[in-house]
Order: sequence, then C-alpha cells, then structure tokens
Amino acid sequence: MNEMKKTAITLNVNNEIFDIVTFPNQTLLEVLRDHLHLTGTKESCGEGACGSCTVLLNGVPVRSCLTLAIAAQGKEITTIEGLSKGEKLHPVQEAFVNHHAIQCGFCSPGMILTAYALLKENPNPTEAEIRRAISGNVCRCTGYAKIVEAIKSLAEEGR
Amino acid sequence: MEKFSYIGKDMKRIDAAYKATGEALFSADLNLPRMLVGKVLRSPHAHARIVAIDTVKAEKLPGVKAVVTAKDTCGDKWGVFKYTQDQQFLPTEKVRYVGEEVAAVAAVDEDTALEALSLIDVTYEVLPAVFTIEEALAPGAPQLHEVYPNNTNIHVFIDVGDVEKGFAHSYLVKEDNFTAPEDSYFQGEPYAVAAQFDHAGNLEIWMPNAGPHLKAKPLSNVLKIPLNKVRVRKITIGGAFGGRSEISPADVICAFLAKKAQRPVKIVYTREENTVCTRQAHSMIAKIKTGVDKEGRVVARDITCHMDGGAYSSTGPIATSVPFLCMEQAYRMENVRYNGYRILTNKPIRGMFRTHGRAFACGVDIQLDMIGEALGIDPLTMRLRNARQTGDTTPTKSYVPSCGLTETIEKTGKMSRWKEKFRKLPPYYGIGIGCNSVQTGFPMGIRGGSQAFIKLNEDGGVTVITGIVDNGQGNDHMIVQIVAEELGLTPDDVQLITADTEVTPSDPGSYSMCETFIGGNAVRLAAQDVKKKLFRIVADEFGVSAEQLSAKNRKIFVTNDPQQEMSIAKAVRMALTRNESISGEGSYWPKVDWRREWVKNPYGQLSETFSFGTVICEVKVDPETGQVEVLEVTASQDVGYALNPKVIEGQFEGGVAMGGQGGMLTEYLQWHEGRVLTPTQLGYLIPLAIDMPKINNIIVETIDPKGPYGAKEAGMSVAMSAAQAYCGAISNAVGVYFHEYPITPDKILKAIEEKKKRDPKR
Repeated sequence: MNEMKKTAITLNVNNEIFDIVTFPNQTLLEVLRDHLHLTGTKESCGEGACGSCTVLLNGVPVRSCLTLAIAAQGKEITTIEGLSKGEKLHPVQEAFVNHHAIQCGFCSPGMILTAYALLKENPNPTEAEIRRAISGNVCRCTGYAKIVEAIKSLAEEGR
Repeated sequence: MEKFSYIGKDMKRIDAAYKATGEALFSADLNLPRMLVGKVLRSPHAHARIVAIDTVKAEKLPGVKAVVTAKDTCGDKWGVFKYTQDQQFLPTEKVRYVGEEVAAVAAVDEDTALEALSLIDVTYEVLPAVFTIEEALAPGAPQLHEVYPNNTNIHVFIDVGDVEKGFAHSYLVKEDNFTAPEDSYFQGEPYAVAAQFDHAGNLEIWMPNAGPHLKAKPLSNVLKIPLNKVRVRKITIGGAFGGRSEISPADVICAFLAKKAQRPVKIVYTREENTVCTRQAHSMIAKIKTGVDKEGRVVARDITCHMDGGAYSSTGPIATSVPFLCMEQAYRMENVRYNGYRILTNKPIRGMFRTHGRAFACGVDIQLDMIGEALGIDPLTMRLRNARQTGDTTPTKSYVPSCGLTETIEKTGKMSRWKEKFRKLPPYYGIGIGCNSVQTGFPMGIRGGSQAFIKLNEDGGVTVITGIVDNGQGNDHMIVQIVAEELGLTPDDVQLITADTEVTPSDPGSYSMCETFIGGNAVRLAAQDVKKKLFRIVADEFGVSAEQLSAKNRKIFVTNDPQQEMSIAKAVRMALTRNESISGEGSYWPKVDWRREWVKNPYGQLSETFSFGTVICEVKVDPETGQVEVLEVTASQDVGYALNPKVIEGQFEGGVAMGGQGGMLTEYLQWHEGRVLTPTQLGYLIPLAIDMPKINNIIVETIDPKGPYGAKEAGMSVAMSAAQAYCGAISNAVGVYFHEYPITPDKILKAIEEKKKRDPKR
C-alpha cells in the first residue's frame, strides 16, 4: 500500500477555506474533484496538453492536473463553480451561452476560465490574441469559431 | 405573419447554461455512496493465447472488493449483427490486440486497484501477429478468428449496370490508389462508466452513449436479467462523433464488478485507454477506376477498398459500405462496381467515425480533379456535371426525395470566388472543392424507429419522454423547439426526460444522422397528438371545428377570431374534469426497404432521405517547410430546413475542424507492432484555435417532403466533404495530386522535390 504519509493542507477555493487531509502527491485536480466534489473541473488528458482541467491560481490559468494540491496553498483558487454568482451567470459564461460556444460542454469550464483570465488581463484583445490565449484548450466539437465570437463580443462590449 | 415561433430561429440551447457553470454531470463526475474504483487489466500482447489467469493474490489484497475475469462473463460474445458476434466481453482463449481487456478489479481507491492489477498473474503463449492489411492477407498469415478465413471479416459486393461496357465506351479512364492510416475519434470526454445494483437485482448504469437502448440489450443478455432491470440513465455526454454506439466491455465489466461487490463501481478511462480501447477509425486503401465521357460525366466506376478493421467486427458491415454509399449518393454513376473488404489485424477495433473513409472520399473527388484537368474542365464544373439531383435513384436503388447538391456547389463557388481564383492564384496558393452526402439514419436490421410520449401538467406545461440522446450536438434543444412550436408553449414550459431505458421508449440512437429526421418526427407526431386532443376539447367549448383552432403563446384560439381563446392550462383542467386522456404519443418508422442488408442484399431504399454538402478551401503552402496555411473555408449543406441555424453553423465549423483541418493535415495514429505510439494530445494533433481558418457557412434548404418541417440532418455532409476540399486545395497549390493522407509537410516537400526533378524549368 501507499507508504507515503497523508498531510493536512488548507485551500482557498472560490473564497471558501477547506481543510483537507491527503497525500502530498495528490494533484489539485484530484483534490478538487474527489475531496471537494467540484466536478466542473474536468480531466481529459491528465498530462497538461488539453486544458480541460484549467483553474485559476491568483487569477492565472493553470493546469490543475500538473499542479500539486499542496503547492496551491495560500493562493486564491478559482474553479468554474466560483464564476457565477448565485443564479446569475458571469458575463463570460453568458457570452458562451448566447454565442453557441458550447456543444458537448466538456471543455467549456476550462475554456471559460481561460477566456475570463484573458479578458481580466487584456479587456480588449484582438482575434489573434484571443486565438493564442485559448490555444491551450482543446475543443473537439466547435472548430472554435463560436468560442472566438463569444470572447470577441465581450471585448467589443469593453468588459 | 411569421410562420413559426421557434422553428428556424437562432435559439440559445437549453443545455448551455448548465454546461457553462460546471453543473452538468458527466459519467466520471458521478460519486455514489460507497463507490469503488474499477480498473481494467489489459493485454500487453498483440496476439496471444491465454493459458491461465491467477487472481488469488489480487483478491487477497486489502481494499479489493471484487475481481472479474471471463469466468464471470461466461465467454459471452457480442456483435452488432448475428453474423458478427465475435468479441467476448472478456476473452477466454485469446487476446487479439494490445490493450484488450483481460480482467478487472474494484477496490477502495485507485492506488489499491492498480496494485491489485499488478498482482493478477496471466500466463500467455505469444502468437505471431499481423499488423497491416498486406500482412493479414499474405499466404500463410496468422489467423485471428477461425470463422473469418484469410482474415477477411466482411466482403461487400455491389454491381450495378455494365461496368466493363461503361469503361469501353468511356472517352477517358483513370485508375489510382489512395490510402490513409487510422485516425481517432478523440472525444473530449474519456470513456467512463458507473454502475450499481440494488437488492432487487436492478442495474443502474451511466456511460457516454449514442443510444441507451443499444447498451441495455447486450447488458440484459450477458447479465441474464430482463430489460426492465437494466436502467441505462441519462447523463451528459462529451462527444461521440460516431462512437459510443456499441456496448463496451467496460460497461459489462463495471456491471459485474458492482454485482459482485454489491457496491457502486466507477471505471474512468485514461486518455490512452480512450484512444486504444474504445474505437478507432479504419485505415484504408482505395483503388478507384473511373471512366468519363468527353464532358467529364462519369460513365463507369469500379472501386476496390480494403479497410483495416482491427481485431473484431464492431460495425464492420456498415463501415465497409458507408464510404461507397455516401459517394454513390453524392454523384451520379450508372455503371458501378464496388468490392469492399474489411480485413482483420492484431490492432484495436475500428468503428464508424464521423469522417469515416477519408481515403475513399478524397480518392473519388481528387480523381475528378485529375480527370477534369486532362479534359480541360475545372473541378467545380466536374462536380456540377456529376451532381446528384432530386428525384434520382442511386445505383443501389434509393430514391432521393430532395437534393440541393447543385445549389451548395454553386453558392459555395460564388462565395469563395472560385472562378476568380482557380488557376489564377499566385504560386503555392491553391483552392479545392469537395462534395459528399450522408444518410439520415440507416435503420436496417439492428434497430427500428423512434417513439415519444408527452405528459401534460395542470399549468399547461409538458414533459416530453423520448429515447433521443444528445451527445453534444443539441438534440435536447431540438426536442424542446419542436414541442414548444407545435403546442404554442414557450421553451420553459417544456421539460425533458430523455435517454433513460427505465422510462423512455425505444429510439434508434444518436448516430448515423437519424435523430432529427426520425426522433424529431416522432416528437412532432406526439405533440400533434396532444394538440389534436386539446383542440377537441376547446372546439366543443367554442362550438367550432378543431380545424379552425390554432395554438400560440400558451393559448388555443379560433384562428379567424383570436378573441375567442382559452389558455392551455384551462384546456388541460377541462380534460381532467371530462375524464379525457390528453397525453400524446408519437412514433416514426422511416420508410426504408427492410429487405436491404449490408452484405446479403445491398439494394433497396437505404434511408428515407439524404443530405448533401460542399466545402471549398483556400490554402497557401510554404515550399520551404511544407507547412500549409489555410486561408479560408466555405462550407455549405442542404440541411432540408434549418431548425436552429446557429446550431447548424456550429456543426459545419466543427466538421471542418475534424474532417479538413485535422483529417487532412495532422491527424493520424502512429504505430509500433500494434502498439499506438501517439494516443494522447501530445502526439495526436487535434486542431487548436490558432490553426483554424475563417469559415463561411452557407445553409441550403430544400424542405424535404418527409423531414420534420423539411429538416434532414445538420452538418455531416460538410464534415465528410472537408477533407477533399483541403486535399484539392493543397494539390492545386503544389501542382501535384496527393494520394496518401493526411498531407503532412514531409509529403508536401517530397512532392515539390519530385516535381522540380520532373520539370526543372518551373
């Protein structure tokens, strides 16, 4: 069996504090999904290639499958569940819905968080900047056209 | 006056918001009380006899709650057709590919499950293996299955007219070979299955599927429990693309683990397992011989296609036929012969893929370009001269009730400025065109029609109960649109219970492009049934005939005197007091020739109608690096009628990405002796946002006489045409026709090099 010792870690996820006892080799993805049941964060490749597991650490998109949970301590972790406020969708989520940027929806949480971080950093990105920013997130359904449109609509609205 | 309130409108999909918030649950997201982790032990050998499996050590490991082997599944076999039942859920005698399931465990956590797998001792006797079509067909080659001599799994033979006479009368005859290796479905969601049994022996099971009823039947058979105890539940599905239709050994294994442990079990595939152990797309060698008259019209065609099917039949008879059938639908050809062979090799199993048969479709289309060049006819005109027309009958005897192929060619050509560009572009710029056609379901043999029920609530809202599955394309929204339209309700008034075998009636499943046409028609008929019943009540009350009534804005009113109105809620309550049933029922069985069979009798009405599409692509090739930059793509399809145009655009754009950008430039699996070397995104290159060109969409509507509101299907003919357009454009840019796909930079550089040697002046 696992000879590694479990350790207590504290995570700030979506402005809530969680105390978790887990193995130090657990990824942030595993802890979010299996301990905190925040299953909006998806696993598609498990090796940092697809972006489905994207979460924000202090506002910066990271691959939670390549991030150890212990290394995320002391940082603000934002998952897709932390974006909407009660019944109200965040404008990025709303834009994805309105512009048909979501088909099967598996890549959507990661894609939306990446778009959110881009717009925070650069509220008025060009199409080339949008495409570059989301090129770490693989979508098999849409061909990206409607995703780019959704993000562009926000840029144009100056949000 | 607007004809429709919701049909034909750009509507936000009903499932989008809950997917945007992370609320949507996919199979891997399920977490049931006391749930165990299931893991599968897989064959490390491409071909080996299983001498013994010892699970004693694994069973004794603390934390292990169940172990299953072929002893549990009793060697039961699965096959889509009676004559293709060749895959055991867990093999008893032999493994036939690297990655085949051998045994499985359920344990309290993943680490324990993995450790338990390492404690299962399997003794193999390794056998010689075959990894290519040529090896499999060689004299004395190792045989995979006794029942398929010469490793030939399926032979489809079609012979129409007089092909030899046709060639003899042709002005020009051309013969070429086209090849493509395997590609991968690469759904965003890796396969996952969760299962639990209750004390009464009822199975509840969740997995990505293209049809819950198609999963339930084999589960019922292998578990030896009646169908009403197999409850395949609705779950969000992360893409299918032609996959997810068949039972997976993982479904059966998970159910057996849950039964043995009497606890819920979840198996989540890794990306590698999803690539290797679900389904792959066939590799293919297509030999195409075409004879034309002086004007470039096809007089005769003879095609022999060998497909590498991997280790088992899967949907073999369908897969062997469909590339041919699509092309015989798209283009007129009177004298035609087809020999399709599906060959077995010691590689993973191949199924029906969204862009199935790229070598085949590209071959037919690119050869038209070559012939056109020889005759001095441009590719677009070649397509127009051979395009299928409404009212035609295909060589294998399917009547075509509506066909807008010519319109798609003309409109795509106009928007992409074909005439101004073809042969007028600078060096290393090119433009190409592709066309294709797909079926709207082919329900022969293994499945039937679709049924739907509608229940009314006292406030006038409804619940629709149907087996239709949404694997991402927007089928759930389509159901809501149709019912809201027919009953004069708002989308909010319509609730769905779909794709749950305990509750929902039979449905052919969300693949082969049949949900809009077949499922959509069934739902519409159910809504019309409700409407008829409600109108009877209101007509009585107003003293008018039911034909004088309309429904809109939650009200039923006299069409010519809208002041006379009654809310639907009131009509429902009146029905209750009058003890009248107002539930609705609808059933749709497509009018096809049920005697048609893929191998034994490949003639007769295949599908009730067909869609047609055209893609034009413009590229720039870098002669130094062989890199292709795609400048613009224009995609067009005859969809019958666009129920929700934005959804259709999304299907076009996704189809161009998968079929063209991925399918013709970067996507292929690499191998070493039956082992996939590129199973993950790091090696298997799926298009990214930076790769994708601008895509123009053109929706063509022909209003099919039988489709719901005239609709057919939403985008597959684009997905099946994109590869040809890309291939044509690159060939046009380089001045060399490509026969091997995908067209990677090395092939382009080699072609440029050889061309320079042949023609040093240019």
